[in-house]
Amino acid sequence: MSIDIEKLNFEYQSKTPFAHRALTDVSLQISDGSYTAIIGHTGSGKSTLLQHLNGLLRPTSGQLTVAGNLITPETKNKELNELRRHVGFVFQFPEAQLFEETVLKDIAFAPKNFGKSEEESEQIARKMAELVGLPSEVLERSPFELSGGQMRRVAIAGVLAMEPEILILDEPTAGLDPKGRLEMMQMFARLHKQQHLTIILVTHQMNDVADYADHVIVMEAGQVIADSTPAEVFSHPDWLAQHHLGLPQTTAFAAKLKDAGVKLDPVPLTDQALAQQLAGLLAKNGGGQHG
Amino acid sequence: MDKMLLGRYINGDSLIHRMDPRAKLFLSFYFIVIVFLCNNWQTYTLMVAIVLLCVKLSEISLGFFIKGVRPLIWLILFTVLLQIFFSTGGDPYWQWGPFTVTDAGIINGVFVFCRFVLIIFMSTLLTLTTTPLEISDGLESLLKPLLALKVPVYEIALMLSIALRFVPTLMDETTKIMNAQRARGVNFGEGGLIKQIKAVIPLLIPLFVSSFNRAEDLATAMEARGYHGGAGRTKYRKQEWKTKDTLGVVMFLLVTLALVLLRK
Repeated sequence: MSIDIEKLNFEYQSKTPFAHRALTDVSLQISDGSYTAIIGHTGSGKSTLLQHLNGLLRPTSGQLTVAGNLITPETKNKELNELRRHVGFVFQFPEAQLFEETVLKDIAFAPKNFGKSEEESEQIARKMAELVGLPSEVLERSPFELSGGQMRRVAIAGVLAMEPEILILDEPTAGLDPKGRLEMMQMFARLHKQQHLTIILVTHQMNDVADYADHVIVMEAGQVIADSTPAEVFSHPDWLAQHHLGLPQTTAFAAKLKDAGVKLDPVPLTDQALAQQLAGLLAKNGGGQHG
Repeated sequence: MDKMLLGRYINGDSLIHRMDPRAKLFLSFYFIVIVFLCNNWQTYTLMVAIVLLCVKLSEISLGFFIKGVRPLIWLILFTVLLQIFFSTGGDPYWQWGPFTVTDAGIINGVFVFCRFVLIIFMSTLLTLTTTPLEISDGLESLLKPLLALKVPVYEIALMLSIALRFVPTLMDETTKIMNAQRARGVNFGEGGLIKQIKAVIPLLIPLFVSSFNRAEDLATAMEARGYHGGAGRTKYRKQEWKTKDTLGVVMFLLVTLALVLLRK
């Protein structure tokens, strides 16, 4: 399910004296089954862009096609509902959306809304609870009795239960402990690989971008300023610094090595890649000394 | 929701803006009381003139005041119709079962309409020209004598200012949760009445939960910064009673006198 955005402009409170522009001429493509990371500062328009992808906002001008649904400024609400069942959206701090009496009912809420039967929804809910690593004994408890980390899992399971083809994640791991973060990110990566899910991740964690994404979009002041691969974006540390963005740890380390005279090509993104390249270099140099 | 006028302050530097909030609070309440003295054309005309004078002095366009009436228009019309159809006395024009329309009924209906609009205009004037903080400070100061009766005046004022402060925060929160539930397939404002009421539950429960959590966090934060109730607290903003405030009170007393003389 691909996404195609053409010359999208968006103004908040359009046609009033309070109008202010949030997105300017955004054009981009997200291909089916890709893992796209959107990075940029707070207020750069990331969240506004995301809300267009499942029809929570309509463009002021321009258009976008999401999973075969065309959204223009004139699109009706009914058509947007149709689109929403294809697009799962995990908001920032999604635990705020919990409301049901039991964890199971809360996870089953979305499939029921989208027309699944009671039993079917419950079945899906159990499956998703297991997928996000919720122990089965919490399913009958109130979601409000759980720890923050577990509430987050319930909320994410509730979105996955829609069985979407496109999954939007707006800083899904903010406020989690390191172990929880890693488990969560690995789960999304698994879903991406096994179920061919298209993932769009908004994050401030450059390490996550390097580890998981295959496509990076950099936004600033409502505009797309880079649309490329992680390897390409992270090979320009100076450009990133200019736009007040950091490097992933591995790439930062590689940049320091480069300053010290050890050139790694291509720029390694993960620690495994870095280790392999270094091992290769050591083997070469080591071989030279012996010979 | 942007139609809500409560707590919507319009920046300005008019005579009314510069008045002491205590005077404005007192006079708006006093106005509501003396509106009930009106019972004929002369008295209502006088009150309309007073309100129009105050609106003029506030240098705010009349449109804002008319917008303030809009959310209540159905309630007003309902009350007016009740007056027109169920008043007794006077010459009946039309009769059907329990419904009678008499000349006295129609006149009463017009008076009730005027009364509503006058009261709404005056209270809108208060909120348009006074910041929420000024209102709660003014209220605290006005209610102080009630401390002797063990009325928790400081707490009331604090509750009021916290409530006003959190109106925008709560609106943001509402938008956020509405979006999250929309993404999970809830359609707000669509379908039959039962369906719409059902759609509100996934919105209200998270709002309540987050409000309670926020209240607890706020209480902890205030205690951590040494808040221990209002007694003995000093104010950063001093309120000053000036000549124009005294003049305002005198004017309203004169109006009261005129009303007593003009009413039948």
